[in-house]
Amino acid sequence: MLEIKDLVTEYGSVKALNGISLLAHEGKITTVIGANGAGKSTLLRTISALEHPHSGSISWKNKSIVGLSPEKIVRLGIAHVPEGHAVISQLSVEENIQMGALFRMRSNKADVRLAIQEIYQLFPRLEERKKQLAGSLSGGERQMLAISRALVSRPSLLLLDEPSLGLAPLVVEQIIQTVNDLCRNTGLTVLLVEQNANTALGVADHGILLSLGTVAADLPAAQMKADVALRAAYLGY
Amino acid sequence: MDIFLSAIFAGTSRGAIYALAALGLVLVWRGAGVVNFAQMGQAMFSTYIASTLIAQNYSYWIAFVVALISGGVLGGLVDLLVMRPLNRKRSSSVLDSPAMRSTVPVIASLGILGVLQAAAGMIWAAEERGFPTPVNSLGLVINGKIMPFTAFDLFVIGIVFVTLLATTFFFKGTGMGLAMRASALNPEVARLSGIRIGLVRTLSWVISGVASSLAGLLVTPSANLSPYTLDLILIIGFTAAVVGGLDSLLGSVIGGFALGLLVSFVNVYDAPEDIFLAILIVLLTVLVIRPQGILGSKEVRRV
Repeated sequence: MLEIKDLVTEYGSVKALNGISLLAHEGKITTVIGANGAGKSTLLRTISALEHPHSGSISWKNKSIVGLSPEKIVRLGIAHVPEGHAVISQLSVEENIQMGALFRMRSNKADVRLAIQEIYQLFPRLEERKKQLAGSLSGGERQMLAISRALVSRPSLLLLDEPSLGLAPLVVEQIIQTVNDLCRNTGLTVLLVEQNANTALGVADHGILLSLGTVAADLPAAQMKADVALRAAYLGY
Repeated sequence: MDIFLSAIFAGTSRGAIYALAALGLVLVWRGAGVVNFAQMGQAMFSTYIASTLIAQNYSYWIAFVVALISGGVLGGLVDLLVMRPLNRKRSSSVLDSPAMRSTVPVIASLGILGVLQAAAGMIWAAEERGFPTPVNSLGLVINGKIMPFTAFDLFVIGIVFVTLLATTFFFKGTGMGLAMRASALNPEVARLSGIRIGLVRTLSWVISGVASSLAGLLVTPSANLSPYTLDLILIIGFTAAVVGGLDSLLGSVIGGFALGLLVSFVNVYDAPEDIFLAILIVLLTVLVIRPQGILGSKEVRRV
């Protein structure tokens, strides 16, 4: 279980997160929704230690992870796919995937090979294009690659930041379904940040609505999806 | 014809050395975002170490290997003792602005250069001394005919060729090479992938240190060794790196060879005192027509 208590993260004098508390249960999809600037990305960046929290606690499987480096956090099984199809365009598809497994290449080479095979089964298009530069991929393929880069580390917690950004609805559907299958079949815990609330709440078990750095609502996903007043107030539709 | 050929050979062997110096600069620029002016100071220091060993009757090759190792160690120390603490300090002080972030390490590297030159002067005295070549540096004689190149030229070209192949293999064919490329291209994604970018950064200082000290060892026989002799190579190596594209390893090598040939031709057909003028003209021409360098990517231009 991921447990966050009273988390405050500041950019200069701006409080991007102003006392956030939430739980993400193992083997479930928890989605964090909210408008632009609500602090969704900052939340994920603070969990993976790209930002340092000002105060509050973050623990994963009952151990505090505050103060660790991003490199260390990956090794604890927490993989972060940042916003904007974060792949390295000048590297090949294959290299982007390998990159995610470099840290355990020496200790467990056989499993890394297996993990890469599984990824190619999951996204056959990536295998077809493995020698191409990541920069030559379509937006959807790039997002698949960014997720693959995280999956090859065999995470138990996946932090996914706006996978739908800039993608066609059909591609979004496919990516979200893949994440959903992974969660249901392998017990992966997912913390999914989305602006596209409908899609996210459609697959999630639990919904957390952020507004201006605070938790405005914390409800089962189905209930949040049905709450018209809440959506009108915070999401504008 | 012989003059032309010998200019080509001398230029190629010169160019090979410039390519090494440029490679050293590009490695640290890509790996750590620092233009390292202390680079040839480090090389000078390790060449003095080699010279001291040779003076004590150790073989050239032992001195050669020890110098390469000490070049690597010195590179690593510069990162661990100066650059890393500087990075840590900056995030909490007045120096924490984008302009300062890129300027401070460069100024620090100039400081290191000064310290190394002063230390070398104190330890080894500042007078010039010669430095041997491992093979003959007179024109090679084959079938009684004097060739337009020396055995040392061939040695230099060969050793640089091997170094470039090894570097290419390291970057394209090994996990650590991939980690280094990833960290240089996108540090954030690299860290999220579990790559220890601090370690990778130090390693790029080490490899750069080895490449530079190799350049120092190969170029010193043609000049003499003093704390300041390698300043010249720094300037030419820097020009080669900028001409080739500061963020491109291949570009720096091409730039190195191009400048080597240029220097050699000016030397033979014009006069040695025009060498700097010619280099300056090439540098300015490239900066006006293609500011990012022959193979550099566009983003670098802003820096």
